[in-house]
Amino acid sequence: MAYHVIVGLEMHCEMKSKTKVFSPATNAYTPSANTNVNEIDLGFPGILPTLNMECVKKAIMAARILNCEIPKKMMFDRKNYYYPDLPKGYQITQNTMPVGVHGNIDVECNGSIINVSIQDIHLEEDSAALDHLDTMSLIDYNRAGVPLLECVTDPCITSADAAVAFLDTMCKIYQYTDISDADTKKGQIRCDVNVNLQDDNGNYITPKVEIKNINSFANVKNAIIYEYERQSKAYEEGKMDELIQETRRFDEETGTTVHMRSKVDAIDYKYFVEPNIPPFIIDDEFVKEIASQIPMLALERKQMYTDKFGLDELSAIVIVKEKSLADYFENCVKIGIDAKIAANWLNGSIISFLNKEEISISDFYLKPEFLKQIVDSLNEGTISSKQAKEIFNKSLEERKEPKEFISSDNKQISDEKYIEEVIDNILANNEDNIAAYQNGKTNVFDFFVGQVMKETKGKANPNITKELLHKKIDKS
Amino acid sequence: MFTKELMNKYANDLLFDLSEEEVNLLLEEFDVIRENMEIISNIEGISEVEPLSFPYDITVSSLRDDEDLQNISTEDALKNCHDKIEDVAIVPKVVG
Amino acid sequence: MTYLDKDLTTIHEALVNKEVNPKELADEARSKIAKTNGKLNAFNLVIDNEEYKESDSILCGIPYALKDNLSTKGIKTTACSDTLKDYVPVFNATAYEKLCDSGALLIGKTNLDELAMGGTGTTGNTGIVHNPWNISHMAGGSSAGSASSVAAGIVPYAIGSDTGDSIRKPAAFCGVVGFKPSYGLISRYGLFAFASSLDHVGVFTRNVKDAAIIVDHIKGYDKKDMTSIRDMDDVSLVNGLDGNIKGKKLFYIDEICNKDNYDNPKTKEMLDNFDSLLEKAKDLGFEVYKESVDIKLLNAIKPIYDCISCAEATSNNSNLTGIPFGPRGNGENVMDMMKDARTKGFSPLIKRRFVIGSFILQKENQEKYFLNAKRVRRLLVEIFNKLFEKYDGLILPCSSAGAPSLEQASDKITRNDIILENHLAIGNFGGYPSITIPCGFIDKMPIGVNITGKFKGDANVLNMAYALENTLEFKNQTAKGEF
Repeated sequence: MAYHVIVGLEMHCEMKSKTKVFSPATNAYTPSANTNVNEIDLGFPGILPTLNMECVKKAIMAARILNCEIPKKMMFDRKNYYYPDLPKGYQITQNTMPVGVHGNIDVECNGSIINVSIQDIHLEEDSAALDHLDTMSLIDYNRAGVPLLECVTDPCITSADAAVAFLDTMCKIYQYTDISDADTKKGQIRCDVNVNLQDDNGNYITPKVEIKNINSFANVKNAIIYEYERQSKAYEEGKMDELIQETRRFDEETGTTVHMRSKVDAIDYKYFVEPNIPPFIIDDEFVKEIASQIPMLALERKQMYTDKFGLDELSAIVIVKEKSLADYFENCVKIGIDAKIAANWLNGSIISFLNKEEISISDFYLKPEFLKQIVDSLNEGTISSKQAKEIFNKSLEERKEPKEFISSDNKQISDEKYIEEVIDNILANNEDNIAAYQNGKTNVFDFFVGQVMKETKGKANPNITKELLHKKIDKS
Repeated sequence: MFTKELMNKYANDLLFDLSEEEVNLLLEEFDVIRENMEIISNIEGISEVEPLSFPYDITVSSLRDDEDLQNISTEDALKNCHDKIEDVAIVPKVVG
Repeated sequence: MTYLDKDLTTIHEALVNKEVNPKELADEARSKIAKTNGKLNAFNLVIDNEEYKESDSILCGIPYALKDNLSTKGIKTTACSDTLKDYVPVFNATAYEKLCDSGALLIGKTNLDELAMGGTGTTGNTGIVHNPWNISHMAGGSSAGSASSVAAGIVPYAIGSDTGDSIRKPAAFCGVVGFKPSYGLISRYGLFAFASSLDHVGVFTRNVKDAAIIVDHIKGYDKKDMTSIRDMDDVSLVNGLDGNIKGKKLFYIDEICNKDNYDNPKTKEMLDNFDSLLEKAKDLGFEVYKESVDIKLLNAIKPIYDCISCAEATSNNSNLTGIPFGPRGNGENVMDMMKDARTKGFSPLIKRRFVIGSFILQKENQEKYFLNAKRVRRLLVEIFNKLFEKYDGLILPCSSAGAPSLEQASDKITRNDIILENHLAIGNFGGYPSITIPCGFIDKMPIGVNITGKFKGDANVLNMAYALENTLEFKNQTAKGEF
């Protein structure tokens, strides 16, 4: 019988907040070890946790987005185990009553929508960071107590691509809602991946293998593919004794998974209700208020861009990649720029400028209002598209509104200094004509005006030009 | 059944060793503990009762404000750490 | 002339009248400690300066002692455990901080059972604490040194902690007042956790009014303790002491106080004392009632306490690994190192408690042991909550006899624990305000009576104890033993 891979994911994401989830120490990455710490993070005797409101709100928001059932109260449990990165000897997490259960979320994978069902999402604290040297490990407690959201899917994902698509969707959700920067490069996302094989009747035909602590999407994909191949090979060859329920880790160098411990050695975490954090009442009003703050998310926006604004699929995908880009785009449309034109600017000149300068759109000088100045002039025919491009660059270069360049470059030139320069050039080459004019040949004056117009492609302000010419060549 | 092996395993999970004498004492105590626990489980109708994790059903409606920052100095953080280099605590290399 | 064996008001007036100054008071305390510590072993650390904040509080400039499981910034705090040998906290317990702000003068840290897990005062790494009424008897635990030092007249008050009866039992054994207010009235921040859902900070004094004064100074909502009470900041306990108890209703529990249930002649003597005390209470204007509580539930008190306290303790003390603080263990790899630190650091008693606690928390046992214990905790609390709707307070003897001799000191978990020795844990199960006051002697050793009232009814409990205390002749007594 045919079979396929079945994957369940546990995705940990470091949340954005000013302070840690159970302590008032700074929650931020810093290269200076042990600076963002409080006695609570070090687990000193006598400390008590205090729950951060911001983290609670964000956790509830995430649960709402994932269409989870949200309990009437928020509770925490202790997960007890010993490890050098866990100063208290337990992690405060949510075991009995996660902030969200039984949810689901639509994920777009290779052009079609799949629905991933969510077992639960819960709020917990991170451990300290260990840095391994040759002979010793260094402990930096800055990370201890950093808020984490752990999202656990049901085993329902049927391909490596779908797993990555899910993770990508989740990252976008976190970014769009400002729950997290969800930056894999900064180690803000870590995943445990459960993999086994299922036949077409839905029966599991290999034991579940958990691959711990993978920190990039590429590795998630590779681990799933490797594990699928390893398990199907053993299955096909009838070597089922090679397959056990176990925890493995992904070895980046060899691209393989390696045994860590078997189910028999599974740790009993002795979960129990955290006695220092009384239940926090989550009333309906509170959830409603949080729900009202959820912005429109990537997938929904993408659909709006293609359906309502008529963008092509690809442009829409590029724009929704970052919330700030999508917001920029929507602001452009809001102030009257044609959607497709805005999309072209965004996906063309703007993104390449951002990439070149390595800045984000929030630091981009040309706000939608400024872009509109260029777009409008182009529509009116006052400038050519080539000129539009030049004005775009000039505006960014000099950090001046495009309209300043539009009036000088393309309409009348009223810049006296500039006109004077042109006049001086002309006069320098026409000493004969100056003499003639000064000797009474007054019609030569018109010759000079014509020369200035020729030089400025007819854009010099005639009055200014005349005035300046009179000043220069009239006998005083 | 409580055995010496079991006692030693429990202790090992808690990261300490027990002496022979301690193990024997524990075995004695465990017999009592189990009897005592029977006193608890034999109380009628308790399966219906919600466990009480606090002295009363405490709930809170306000939480810590995220704006209020409080860090301690690196020096204080590591003041009681007996093996450190500059700003970090050190331990023998952690494997796996 | 000595001062520290007097009540707070007297000492304060002496300071105000400049009969004495804080330096002299501190010297008095230190010289008393120097003289007695060889026999009592109440202190493990004596402060050799007289630093205190100027304030207009009654506590300003008056020495006191602190149980050595409350975090004091810059002052070694060890909970009498080798795992915390040389540990110098970098932050203050809220209760201590409030005393500092009131200008109270910390004179020393007192010995306790290791990590507050014991009831004898004999298990700390600094040795046995002795009872100043007779040094061959235990002071009781775990706040042994605090009880002993107040009884000996070394300090007018000392701070303690109470998880099962760790203030109220030693107070009874040492013939002093021991008060544990409602759960959350005093912040637990900085109290080394034993069993978080049962832990309380409280106080030893030699009279009820002083207990009210001290708690008034250290209580209050603390944003660092999420279980801290928010609506009692404006309550003044000392102002509630008017001694007017006419018509107040006390009850005792027949199953605990019925003499027919006991063979021990000392227990009978204890209960005789209790009977005459009840008569005095009635004469004073109290109404006294006999109530009945299901014996099965009463018998469950000790098992519930063992279960919950051991379980929470094993987790709470998982931070003691010698990595970020505490003595480092030896070992090739880090896990061995942590294991060595813990093996060396904990006494056998502590290890046994942790194994029991961990067993109770195991996945396969939690439902049967831990959760059932929490369920019966609720049943008991609901019963007493109902009784406290009907009555102002529960009155019971604190123990079945006076302080046992040191040879009898044992923290082994045994069969047939008698309820009379264990009922004070009810005060911790329900977070009730609970006070012990001295009420007599058996064989020259003091005994105490306990009054417990409804949650947040601290003022009422104190006032009832205050009225009762005034009819007894033990107010402000200090120990008469040789020490």
